[in-house]
Amino acid sequence: MTSDEQLILELQQGSEEAFTELFLRYRERVYGFFRRRMNDAAQAEELAQETFLAVLRAAHRYEPRATFRAYLFGIAFNILSAHRRKSGLDSMRIDSAPDEVPDPSGTNPDNVIWVRQAVERLDAPEREVLLLREFEELSYEEIAKILRAPVNTVRSRLFRARMALREILATTPGNLGARK
Amino acid sequence: MTSSTHPFEQEEVMAYLDGELSANRAASVASHLRECPECAALAEQMRDVSTQLSNWGVEPAPASLTKSLNAARAERAVAKVRKPRGFAGSLDGKFLPVRNRWVWGAASAAALVILLLSIGLPSLRREQHPVGMARQLAYVQQAEIEQKAKNEAAASEAEAFIAQARTSPAPTPEATQPMIARSASVSLIVKDFGPLEASVKAIAQRHNGYIASLNSTSPQDAARALTATLRIPSVQLESAIAELKQLGHVEQESQSGEEVTKEFTDRAARMKNARATEQRLLDVLRNHTGQVKDILATEQEIARVRGDIEQMQADQQALQTRVDFATVELSVQEEYKASLQSAPPSTGRRLRNAAVEGYRSVVESVIGFGVWALQSLPTVLLWGFVLFAPARWLWKRLRRTAVSQS
Repeated sequence: MTSDEQLILELQQGSEEAFTELFLRYRERVYGFFRRRMNDAAQAEELAQETFLAVLRAAHRYEPRATFRAYLFGIAFNILSAHRRKSGLDSMRIDSAPDEVPDPSGTNPDNVIWVRQAVERLDAPEREVLLLREFEELSYEEIAKILRAPVNTVRSRLFRARMALREILATTPGNLGARK
Repeated sequence: MTSSTHPFEQEEVMAYLDGELSANRAASVASHLRECPECAALAEQMRDVSTQLSNWGVEPAPASLTKSLNAARAERAVAKVRKPRGFAGSLDGKFLPVRNRWVWGAASAAALVILLLSIGLPSLRREQHPVGMARQLAYVQQAEIEQKAKNEAAASEAEAFIAQARTSPAPTPEATQPMIARSASVSLIVKDFGPLEASVKAIAQRHNGYIASLNSTSPQDAARALTATLRIPSVQLESAIAELKQLGHVEQESQSGEEVTKEFTDRAARMKNARATEQRLLDVLRNHTGQVKDILATEQEIARVRGDIEQMQADQQALQTRVDFATVELSVQEEYKASLQSAPPSTGRRLRNAAVEGYRSVVESVIGFGVWALQSLPTVLLWGFVLFAPARWLWKRLRRTAVSQS
């Protein structure tokens, strides 16, 4: 299978098929990136679309030194930050809990609410590092570049986030709402 | 659990689980985890956190994402037809497979129609405005007679105005990457000045750029010189400068970049706000059934906001062009070779020149005297008038003294 990096280089040469393939590979993950950080599904869809358009527009700026995944989520993070700046929101906050819980296939909705509420209780910088590591599966160094922070800081934040989450998840699900 | 009791920090155990350690270090941690129940428990807790997080799934991306992305790409392709000289435009050409060229042609035609509409509609709007006012006035007169009647005419006029106002919505670009407006300056000295201009044009053309200005001077007894401003796609700036430097000896070279990301983002935000304002005003106009002066005031406000939006769009486009195209100031001087004077001027020519110089000298001296006189005469007259009486008195007294002594 052609690697992501090979595909983006083909896109630089003008291959529409390469872009389509990248889109198919990352559609769900990019949408998930925004959906986990915002309540509004339509807004998440719009920002996911903007991300792919930005990839198309700025493909010539990609340099093979970075993985495509890090490049893609770097763009997604910038778009999210810009969106939140315009909306007057903290660049790392998660929107308030959704009124309607998403319908994740194969997962227990109760667990989804529980985990989401637990993650929301983390400090914003630690939460962002955790999400980028657990869901976007970026390395410490890639996260550090996206957040413009030292690698050691990223590692410390991630450790604190996991420890804090362990404590929160150790409580009973019923206590979460009361404690919040 | 500290390094005093364990050979590894807790964070290092976590890094091991994340695959962030070197092979040697990872082997050491793995060995320690087999022996240390405390660290093994920590590792298990870490894994458990990750497992629980994996429960947080989201719904699949909606199918409309693919459709809307395709639509946005199509819009983008059409929009770029309107920028024939842009670097992005040349990229688009590469993006198109050969078999879709007829689609490209159709898109070009559509873009031409949009362009004509965008030129024609503002004047149409200006012409239609008084008609709209007249119809609204007629409606108000009717409304005064029939107090309960609906304002059909005004509503239709409002709809027409809304349709006109929505003719040219422009996409708001997002500055997701640092935007740098780059500029460079190169000064060269060349031996062979003849083919220089053609070479510079060829370099600009080869890099998909263009020459914004070019000025060439050829004085009789001095070196020839050429100054030019080139606009080169930013991504090709380095290679273009390298080629320019091969034209001769580099006397001076400099490059600079101005980050305009903030300006771009701020303007995009202002445009978005202005569009939201325009939309609200259009909604007000659509639902308005009150006084005609209020309707007219709303229309004026909409026209003002639309003007602001169009101005911002133009500024944004100019800024984008500055980012897409770097500016290269090129200055070239010919290596000067002083030439021997072929023959001294003839005697007749020298006499004629001397006569001309003499005449000029006379004219200059006359004009100079006139200028001096005009400048000094008022002062001389003033002091003459002031000093005349005392001088006369002093003169008479001296004369009387001289007469009495004799």
